Amino acid sequence: MSKLNELTVLEALEGLKKKEFTSVELVKACLSQIEKYDSKIKAFLRVTPEIALKRAEEADKEISTKGVEAFINKPLLGIPYAAKDNYSTKGVETTASSKVLEGYVPPFDATAIKRLDEAGAILLGKTNLDAFAHGSSTETSDFGTTFNPWDLTKVPGGSSGGSAAAVASHMVLFATGSETGGSTRGPASWCGVTGVKPSYGRVSRYGIVAMASSTDSPGPLTKTAEDAAVVLRVMAGKDPLDATSLQTEVPDYLAEGKSFSMKGIKIGRPVSYFEMELEEGTRKKVDEAVEVFRSLGAEIIDVDMLSPKYSIAVYTILQRSEVSSNLARLDGIRYGNDRNSFGFEAKKRIMLGAYTLSSGYYDAYYAKAQKVRTLIKQSFDAAFEKVDLLVAPSMPCVALNVGESSNSPMFGEMMDVLNEPSCIAGVPGISVPCGLYNGLPVGVQIMSKINEESKIFGALFNYQGATGFHLEKPALIKE
Amino acid sequence: MDSRKITIEEVKKIAQMSKLNIEGDEEKFSQLLSQTLDYIKILDELDTSEVSETFQVTGLTNVYQDGSQKVTLSREDALKNVKETARNLVVTKGVFDRE
Repeated sequence: MSKLNELTVLEALEGLKKKEFTSVELVKACLSQIEKYDSKIKAFLRVTPEIALKRAEEADKEISTKGVEAFINKPLLGIPYAAKDNYSTKGVETTASSKVLEGYVPPFDATAIKRLDEAGAILLGKTNLDAFAHGSSTETSDFGTTFNPWDLTKVPGGSSGGSAAAVASHMVLFATGSETGGSTRGPASWCGVTGVKPSYGRVSRYGIVAMASSTDSPGPLTKTAEDAAVVLRVMAGKDPLDATSLQTEVPDYLAEGKSFSMKGIKIGRPVSYFEMELEEGTRKKVDEAVEVFRSLGAEIIDVDMLSPKYSIAVYTILQRSEVSSNLARLDGIRYGNDRNSFGFEAKKRIMLGAYTLSSGYYDAYYAKAQKVRTLIKQSFDAAFEKVDLLVAPSMPCVALNVGESSNSPMFGEMMDVLNEPSCIAGVPGISVPCGLYNGLPVGVQIMSKINEESKIFGALFNYQGATGFHLEKPALIKE
Repeated sequence: MDSRKITIEEVKKIAQMSKLNIEGDEEKFSQLLSQTLDYIKILDELDTSEVSETFQVTGLTNVYQDGSQKVTLSREDALKNVKETARNLVVTKGVFDRE
């Protein structure tokens, strides 16, 4: 049997139900993995072993008294996970990797954290991100960079880089991420894990440090698509504390995905995505993945969509504008530190946003961007008239060297070009590993109409059932 | 003649409006912000004269709570992270006498 920390969520649940091991043993296995590797990877900003072990003991007690019944209302009972540090965690410092929030201990839980907690999942610690999630490498974190477990000279991607690295190095069974324009799918792709950007509104934003409120989409990072289905179901759902949360029932993604048949499914290949500058190795791996979907019974159809290059500009304007507004609340009076603690990247974004929203420039920038957003949305609507799903690379290349991002003022926007259109349109996308290039993971993503995540899961369950890319492990942790 | 979209003077003004201290970095911000705005020009390639804005994608309107959620934080919790309090209230600097 594999080491406990290397199990998937579903495998661990099975083992706990059969009493093959305890939650305390599971938590300890993860803690020892963190101790062994996190000095090199630096995925965690803080680890909370005492709280976790106490919770694990409680879980074990519940399992020993109630048996399998305990899992009916607590579908993640005893499963250790990590939360990105922009998720508010009651009683546990939450900084969003910014010195502005250093020392801030939230008096409440984000809704997603509360739901995971109620489902029995055990928080093991908080992971690193680009400060305020502004970035695509974790290098803008005020507390240092996270390194890619596949190659410590590379970045893990971002902004959910700490979460992706923690899952890839089997320090936790899953982690939470959040995506505004590529922040979950990007690091999932570069670290070789599964990353979910759900439909906008599917997971409540309440208690997650706001970046761009009109696209912020929290979601899980996991080892397999099946695990992602289980965790997303727990995190998702209507929340009275987030008026933009979708009111529709959350389906049983695992069951629906498993009963999904690829026969007759039309998967669109957006030509404009593949016309972007893609690294050859990435292109080759994604092309191979497309062929796997074809061999599984899907019909692959080329579709014309608005070029993602426009999304870079739209995303930049919307994100900067919403950031300038959202970060205005940080005054150091009610919580956190004063505005002198903002890092360079946050200052740059706040200022551009203040500029694009200011009188005289609003129409030229913000209003124009919102109009192009309509075109992007229409482009997805038209594509989904013809096909059920879309397939595309998650990132234009594999993980870059540490330090490379500093050369471009729009590094993140350029790297996230293949994720920004769907974020702007609110449609869901899930990235899974589709092979290695130069020893580094490549990601392929599937997108669907809003609220049709089950179809994506269905396609990905088929894909992961036919391939073994999601089972590859970084050499570092095999030592 | 400075061809930059955002001059150093404008940078200083935006920083002041945003309550940010950028002393010493004015030149760098002017350069970086102007570069970003140069890229954004790409949107002019698209005709949006007949297109309306999309401000949100969920289509949800007039969403209200059912009224049962009356208190989200106790006073004690709300004041936990406040630097300075007096009589269970938040102490702030004066608003009208600051620069």
